Amino acid sequence: MIQKILIANRGEIALRIVRACRELGIKTLAVYSEADVQSLHVQLADEAICIGGPKSADSYLRADRIISAAEIADVDAIHPGYGFLSENAKFAEQCESCNIKFIGPKSKSIKMMGDKSVAKDTVKKAGVPTVPGSDGPVENESEAVKIARKVGYPVIIKAVAGGGGRGMRIAHNDISFAKEYHVARNEAEKAFGNGAVYIEKYIEKPRHIEFQILADSHGKVLHLGERDCSVQRRHQKLIEESPSPFLTPDLRKKMGKSAIRAASAAEYENAGTIEFLVDAKGNYYFIEMNTRIQVEHPVTEEVTGIDLIKQQIRVANGEKLGFDQGDIKFEKHAIECRINAEDPARNFAPSPGTIGLYYAPGGHGVRVDSHVYSGYVIPPHYDSMIGKLIAYGSNRKTALERMYRALSEYLIRGIKTTIPLHKAIMSDPVFIEGKATTAYMEEFMSRTPPDLFS
Amino acid sequence: MKRSELTEFAVEEEGFKLKIRRGSNGLPIVTSGRSSNPPFGGAETAIPFAAPAPSGVSAAPAAPTAAQEEEGVAFIKSPMVGTFYRSPSPESKPFVDPGAKVVENTVVCIIEAMKIMNEIQSEAKGTIIETLVENGQPVEYGQRLFKIKVG
Repeated sequence: MIQKILIANRGEIALRIVRACRELGIKTLAVYSEADVQSLHVQLADEAICIGGPKSADSYLRADRIISAAEIADVDAIHPGYGFLSENAKFAEQCESCNIKFIGPKSKSIKMMGDKSVAKDTVKKAGVPTVPGSDGPVENESEAVKIARKVGYPVIIKAVAGGGGRGMRIAHNDISFAKEYHVARNEAEKAFGNGAVYIEKYIEKPRHIEFQILADSHGKVLHLGERDCSVQRRHQKLIEESPSPFLTPDLRKKMGKSAIRAASAAEYENAGTIEFLVDAKGNYYFIEMNTRIQVEHPVTEEVTGIDLIKQQIRVANGEKLGFDQGDIKFEKHAIECRINAEDPARNFAPSPGTIGLYYAPGGHGVRVDSHVYSGYVIPPHYDSMIGKLIAYGSNRKTALERMYRALSEYLIRGIKTTIPLHKAIMSDPVFIEGKATTAYMEEFMSRTPPDLFS
Repeated sequence: MKRSELTEFAVEEEGFKLKIRRGSNGLPIVTSGRSSNPPFGGAETAIPFAAPAPSGVSAAPAAPTAAQEEEGVAFIKSPMVGTFYRSPSPESKPFVDPGAKVVENTVVCIIEAMKIMNEIQSEAKGTIIETLVENGQPVEYGQRLFKIKVG
C-alpha cells in the first residue's frame, strides 16, 4: 500500500500530484531546488527536502539525491511527473532496485519506446501503421533514391543523429532529391558528427493527434480518447483539444485500436500517450510513444471525467483498473491553452520576474492548473510555462466561447504572457472552423500583426 | 521524522520559509502542518507571498559549503542529501568537537547516501564553534552542519 509519495518534479505538475495524493490520503514529500523554496507545492506538501542548487542539472536531474531523499524520508513511491527524469529508464531501474515504486511504466518499456527506431519497429510488428520509409539509415544514394521512389514523393531526408526539427531536408522529385540528399549528409556530418541519414515519406500539413493510454499491471490496456495538438510553435504545443475536430467516429475507432496495440506491444503499464500524424486524407501514422503523464492530460480528464493522476497511483499500487473500454464516455469537449511567461509580440522572448497581480478565471466549465500566485517570482532556470487554462462544455462551440471568456478574465500583471495570443487564436476563423494543422501557427503569425498580442 | 515546535508554529505565518532558514538549527525537513489547517484551507492555500527577501535562499550564492553571515563566522553546509554521522564508526570519537581546528581538507563528518559513506571536508579554515545537527539525523542539500569561526 503506497502511503507516502516523493514528487520528483516542480511547478504545476508537482502541485497536481500533491492534490491527487491529498484526496487519496497519501502523504507527500516535495523535493526542490534552492530556486523553488517559495513554490506552492513545496508549501502544501507534508514534507520537503532541498536537493540542490537552482540549475536542473544540480537538483531535479540528480537521481542520486532524489533517491537519497526517498530513503531518508522512507517513501513508498516516486512520481516523476513529466520532463526531468520521467522518461529516464536508468532512474526507473534505480527505483526498482531500491524497492521504491516508480509511478509509471516498467523501465524496460521506457527503454523500448525511448529509442525511436526500436519503437517504430516494435509497433510496426504489431500491425500499427508507421511512416513509410527506409528501415534505418541508407547506405548510399542509389538505395536512397529507390526508397524515395517506392515510398513516393515528397520525402524527408532525416539525420539519424538529429532531432527537434534539425537535420531535415525535403525533396519533391528525383532531381531535387539528388541535391538534397548530399546537402543533408554534409549538414548532418557538420552539425552532429554523423552523416547517416534515413528516408521517410513527408506528410504535408499533418495533424498531430495523440491517444491517451491507461494500462494496469493485470493486462488491461485501455484508451481514453484522443487529443488534437496541432497548434504548435517550433514543435512546442500551445493548444490541445479533445475530441479532434477532424476525426470521424470510424477513424477514431481505428486509431484507438492501433494505440492499444502499440501500447500492448510495449508491455505497457500505467499512463502513456501514443502520438500519430494524420494527413488530409485520414491516413494515420505512428510517430512515437510518450511513456509518462503529459502536460495536456487535463483535457482528457475533463472529457472523460477520469482522474489520470489518481489512476496512475492506483495502478502503481497494483490495483486493477475499475472500468472497461465500453464504460468510458466522451461527453464533453475540452480545450487547453498553455500559459507561458513569454512575449508573443517580441518573438516569444521569455519574461521571467515577479508576478504583481494574479487573478485566475473561474466559473462553470473552467479549470486552472497553475502554481503561481500574486508576488510569485518566476525563476529563470526552468521552462516558461506558468499554468494551463482548460475550458470545457457539451460541445466545441461552448468550449471555445468559454475559453475566450476565461482568457479575458485572466489577469497576470508584471510579466508578459501568451494570454493575448490565445485570445487571438480563439477568435480566428481557421481555428474556429477546426481546420488547424501543424502548419497553422506559422500561417497565423504571418497574417497577424504583432501589436494584436500586447 | 522529528518535527520541532518551531516548524509547527512557523507554518501559521506567512513567509515561514525565511524563519526556518534563520533558525538556530537547520531542520532537515520543512513541514507544512496539515493538522493546523482550518476547514476552508486558510493559510495553506494560495496566499500571496512577498517576493523572497534579498537574503533569502533563492538569492543565495551557489557555494555548497562555507558561507559568510556574521562577522568571522561561517557555516559548513551539506553538499548532498543523506544521513549525518559525526564519527567514522559508532564506537569512535567524533571527527571534530567544538574547539577543533580545521583546514580545507579536514574531514568533519560522514554523510551516508544510498549506502555509501561520504567523507565531508570542511572546505574552510578555522575553529569549530558548534555542531548543528545530531548524529544519525537526515540532512538535506544546503543544510548547515557546523558553525565555524573563520581564520
